[in-house]
Amino acid sequence: MVSLVRAELRKLLGLPTAWVGLVLGTLLAPVVVLLNAPYTRRAIAAGTLTDTSDLGLRDLGIGLIGPMVLGVIVVSSEYTSTGKDAPGARQLTATLTAVPDRLRLLAAKTTALVLVVAAQASVTAVVTLTLTQVLHGEHVPAPALTRVAAAVLYWTLTALLAYAIALITRNGIVPLTLLIINSSVVSVSYLLTKVTDLAAYLPDIVGARMFIRGADFPVAIAPVTAGLVMTAWVVALLAVGAVLFQRRDV
Amino acid sequence: MTTARAELRKLLTLPSLRRTALLTWAANLLLTFAYAAAESRGEPLGDDPALAPLGYTQAGFLVLGVLAAVSEYQEGDQIRTTLLAMPRRLPLQAVKALALAALTLPVAAATAATSSLPAGGAAWLPAATAYLTLTTLLGAAVAGVVRRAVPAVVLLLFVYVIAGPVLRARFGASAAYLPDTAAVDPSRGAAATITWTLAALTLAALTFGRRDA
Repeated sequence: MVSLVRAELRKLLGLPTAWVGLVLGTLLAPVVVLLNAPYTRRAIAAGTLTDTSDLGLRDLGIGLIGPMVLGVIVVSSEYTSTGKDAPGARQLTATLTAVPDRLRLLAAKTTALVLVVAAQASVTAVVTLTLTQVLHGEHVPAPALTRVAAAVLYWTLTALLAYAIALITRNGIVPLTLLIINSSVVSVSYLLTKVTDLAAYLPDIVGARMFIRGADFPVAIAPVTAGLVMTAWVVALLAVGAVLFQRRDV
Repeated sequence: MTTARAELRKLLTLPSLRRTALLTWAANLLLTFAYAAAESRGEPLGDDPALAPLGYTQAGFLVLGVLAAVSEYQEGDQIRTTLLAMPRRLPLQAVKALALAALTLPVAAATAATSSLPAGGAAWLPAATAYLTLTTLLGAAVAGVVRRAVPAVVLLLFVYVIAGPVLRARFGASAAYLPDTAAVDPSRGAAATITWTLAALTLAALTFGRRDA
């Protein structure tokens, strides 16, 4: 299993698009904190920004494009054709020749993805929150370690969600488009919460409740419940993806 | 003329384009409904409901352009056959852009009408249709340079969905220079959209003319 995970890690980190996801995802949140710094200072000084406990943690959301790209290309890279001169050849054929047990392969892929995304999320969270402390330290309380851990968990679950959808669609474009649009400044899920309160239980909305306290929310959900609901979404989609992956032709 | 017909037929017979167009239109319908529902509940979502859904569904048009351009480079490398039949690359690139525009125009008009007519924004219809068509061409031009679907989609969506809104929110003056400002404010961003699209098409034509197929 260790060698499988090592192989999957090497395959993932050998993809140029993975590095786009890693660099973008890691740099975006700190850059936005830096860009926002003068505006945030003025808002704190003017008293318009009273609840500062989410500061920094809230900015992490913009970097989610990183885990989304990573989660999708772990799967989509297996399905794109390998070269111009062998149009029918896909990497998946070679992968399955090496590891015929499909569930073991999925377990290794999932582990590799979780390792990479958790590392990326930890680095990003530490850099972003340290930067927030340096810039606005006197006004912002240092966030509790559990909230930082919850943010890392949120990133990891988001990557797994992207990965599960890609397993179902076997194509990178559909999940990427859906998820990236939904990570925009005003997400579609957030719009839906204005239409029905049930939308509060969509994975991206409910997951953010694990570490964000802000009041702008229709239903009160405790952090642990929020984590469980998002995990349930991910587990359900992963189960569907795993069954399909197990049963479908290559 | 034959080339134009051939290119149109190639685009029309791509199942992925049909599916993208249909999904985009359906998503736009849903979003329009969400905006209308929020409005009727007395808590409007802030933006002009005639245009706001298009800010999301423009992603579908970017994907449409990417898929149209990348289809030549996917498995089997159709571009080699295409160039065998039509070796003059610059006219070919021009015909490709025109065929894609002709194909996109009705889809763009239908999508724009879905969200602008119920919200009483009929005056925006021509501008929104033109914007969505230009966005598709820009997507195709970028994908023509990148030649791979997933990286092209990541790049385009990053610019349109993440970088654009963040820059507009922090540096208001930058709005006039961003390609996606016209989606929310047609009168302000039109020039930028046209310039960016023409620049991307020129770049794509130049690289296509010089690069190995």
